[in-house]
Amino acid sequence: MPLQIDAFLLILRLLLIVLLYLFLMQVVLAITRGLGKPVGPKTPAVLGSLVVIDRRSPCTIPLGTSYPLSVRTTIGRGPVNDIQIEDNSVSAQHAHLSYHNGQWYVQDAGSSNGTYVNGLPAGDPLPIKEGDKLYIGNIAFQIKK
Amino acid sequence: MARWSLSLQRYRWKELGLFVIPFMIFLLEMTQLFLVDHADPLSSLTAQSLPPLYNFVPVLGLIVALLAMNLVLSIFFRKADEMLLPLVGLLSGLGVLMATRLGPDICFTSQNGSTSCLTTLGPNQLLWVILGLAVCLVTLFVLRDTGWLSRYYMIAALLGIVLVSVTVFKSLHADFNSPTHDQLNIGPLNLQPSELLKICLVIFFAAYLSENNFMLAFGRMRIGPLRLPPIKQLGPLTIMLGLALLIFFLVRELGLALLIYGIFLCMIYLASGQLRYVVTSLIVFVALGYIGYKALGYVQGRFAVVSIDVLNWSNKSDALYNAPGGAFQVVQGLIALSSGGLIGAGLGLGHPAFVPVAQSDMVFTALGEELGVAGLFAIIGVYLFIIYRGYRIAMEAMNTFDQLLAAGLTSIFALQALIIAAGNMKFLPLTGIPLPFLSYGGSSILANYIIVGILLRISYNTSLEREGIA
Repeated sequence: MPLQIDAFLLILRLLLIVLLYLFLMQVVLAITRGLGKPVGPKTPAVLGSLVVIDRRSPCTIPLGTSYPLSVRTTIGRGPVNDIQIEDNSVSAQHAHLSYHNGQWYVQDAGSSNGTYVNGLPAGDPLPIKEGDKLYIGNIAFQIKK
Repeated sequence: MARWSLSLQRYRWKELGLFVIPFMIFLLEMTQLFLVDHADPLSSLTAQSLPPLYNFVPVLGLIVALLAMNLVLSIFFRKADEMLLPLVGLLSGLGVLMATRLGPDICFTSQNGSTSCLTTLGPNQLLWVILGLAVCLVTLFVLRDTGWLSRYYMIAALLGIVLVSVTVFKSLHADFNSPTHDQLNIGPLNLQPSELLKICLVIFFAAYLSENNFMLAFGRMRIGPLRLPPIKQLGPLTIMLGLALLIFFLVRELGLALLIYGIFLCMIYLASGQLRYVVTSLIVFVALGYIGYKALGYVQGRFAVVSIDVLNWSNKSDALYNAPGGAFQVVQGLIALSSGGLIGAGLGLGHPAFVPVAQSDMVFTALGEELGVAGLFAIIGVYLFIIYRGYRIAMEAMNTFDQLLAAGLTSIFALQALIIAAGNMKFLPLTGIPLPFLSYGGSSILANYIIVGILLRISYNTSLEREGIA
């Protein structure tokens, strides 16, 4: 029996809804297949760590606490930082550490108590190596690979 | 330096695969529109009753444009986000189909008795979409590095202000009592510069907030129990906010003011992480809105429309329904939505043209009548996916300005869709904001394609930084 046009239109109407939802499912599949890749505000590669080697009281962070470092890591008391340090001597945005061409650099980000590498102030980006002492507020750090 | 290469293995297959179903939908709907217009519903389906090939030309034009876009992106911007364009393309195509369907039904009777119908609605919308795709490509190529946008943000803000001032002065001069002063008519074109103003505003906020976000997060200035950022940071923010409220008064576009304020709230929360700014700003907004409500009659009218009780129809409802600029539009919209049912009347088979301005302000109800609740939810789902992609591009961006820019642009998109959909369904007062991509209107399509272009460029720059050139 030949198909009537109004029946055919009904099929088309249903087909449209079905196709719309199939498309949504396809998008969901594409999303879930892409979820395996890591996502985050910084590159996921951990290039080294910052270890606490000394602190002046009343800071309570235990010695040896290690923070992961990536290509660019910000340090401070505020929640916008990659390394958040809860201490009053550390400013909201204290310093940032960058890794360029195999060399670490640290620069002060406008802190009240200053950032020092082996005693030198880090107004401009200062190179820092493993074994150098980095002073942020009342806490001293060292970089470990 | 744009590296270009084309290899079959690294082509944007995912995007191409996502395009298949939208193309099928376009062809399907074109067939349906033809059959509805030309065929007798009780006759049987034969090979002759199918549409001739030339009928498909508009849709084929759109398909070719989208495929060309895919090709160009694969050559020059292979790593850009692969899901935005199919989603946006589907919405644009549905918008063109809806405009094609609605055009011949929207007729005006002029004074000498002749009726004219907007038959060129569909082709116009198609032209704007293709122009929009071109503009998207231009944005992708021009915006090498979003850094220069962040340096020249004051120019962006000034551009926006100039655009709006020109519009306001021109329309105040021409017709003081028209319902909206937001339109700039250059020759045959009907532009709405407020669309571009939103983008300029987001660029300004993103640049400003990314420079000052730590001061905002921890600024210290106490006024009573409120803790506010210092005056130096607070100044420019309040100036831009004052701009929004000025627009409210002058342009009589309360949707625009609501949108700008919403964008401001989103971005300041994203930048500072402080909920108290949001609360303070909301309180200020409610207070100022209340003053505006008391002062301006048309605001009261719009809010009264929301309060109309459709289920228990009383004399009060009748009065609101029949008042000029009253509830007629919204109530007809609700009737259209409800008559759609679950799967809708079918494209071309309903009567969406009873709703005034169904092609731009109330296109949501037109879609609801013809596609039903099921189709409407699918379209809302497409919007949600676009918003998800936009925020994900923002999350993955490598610097604060890119993050705030992407998040702000996505927020424009999201807030627009929310405000107009809620307005159509009588949750919020109806405003003149266009539903992105689906409503008829050239400037809205262009502005939204610029947003898509910027988002694609940010995602391209991000994946270049993360994964290298390869």
